[in-house]
Amino acid sequence: MSHRTTLAVRAIGIGAVVSLAATVWLGLWVTPPDQVQRNLVRLVYVHPPVAWVALYLAFGIACVSSVLWLWRRTRSAFFDRLAASSMEVGTVFTALTLVTGSIWGRPTWGVWWAWDARLTSTALLLVLQLGYLTLRRIPGDFDSRARRSSIAALVAAVDVPIVHFSVQWWRTLHQGATVLNADLSPTIHGSMAWTLLLSFVALTLVFVWMLLVRYRIGALQDYLGSGELDVAIRERRAEGTVPAEVGR
Amino acid sequence: MNYVIAGYCFVLGILFLYGVQLVWRRRRLTRLVSRVEASPPAAPAEPGAG
Repeated sequence: MSHRTTLAVRAIGIGAVVSLAATVWLGLWVTPPDQVQRNLVRLVYVHPPVAWVALYLAFGIACVSSVLWLWRRTRSAFFDRLAASSMEVGTVFTALTLVTGSIWGRPTWGVWWAWDARLTSTALLLVLQLGYLTLRRIPGDFDSRARRSSIAALVAAVDVPIVHFSVQWWRTLHQGATVLNADLSPTIHGSMAWTLLLSFVALTLVFVWMLLVRYRIGALQDYLGSGELDVAIRERRAEGTVPAEVGR
Repeated sequence: MNYVIAGYCFVLGILFLYGVQLVWRRRRLTRLVSRVEASPPAAPAEPGAG
């Protein structure tokens, strides 16, 4: 990894920590309580941004990368690694979405869990993501692993619009979209809106930083597992032996 | 407010733990690669040995 890339990853990491700290401060101490939900509304600065990363960002990157790997003209190890990295980080965010939703649901609906359309389709998404990660661990050559993973990602992607439109298609406990609603007119204002916006930026930065680090791990794993390392070692050895022979 | 605190703590805690785990995995692999690359060449087997 080049020095510039290392610096960029570090800068994104620092930006993520700072924006996340600002979100927590604004979310817990500065923004006012809601008229209906009182202090519970403060979970809006955590739950929707985490869901945005899990559902749209992570899955979007994984799906586009999978399509680009499946398309012969753009096929490269980069897209396979990017899809796998995005899916792994996205799985963490999907689990966080379900848990934070459950924590919000308990005092609001009176239950930790309900077999509601939004909740069930999101739980299904988590199962599909875990299935994808399991599929990647099955031994096999690089191409077959990448092919089956890409197809699995695209199959799992079918659930994403179901999760998104579930609150419109079925009668659910879950409220409708606050920001990305049908009229595209957010029903949140003032300091709450700005804090919500900041929370989206913060969680996006956290995701990007994690994605870059996870991608690097994937690249190192592929390097260690492939013949590239043997070639590099042979080259190093060859470089080391030449001057020694010349000096004799 | 307890639910709110629980939600924030859970999210921040899991993100922190996952982040630390990612950095640890990256460092371990980087160290492994550099150690393997820097390893001295194996001594050639002597004819007739083994």
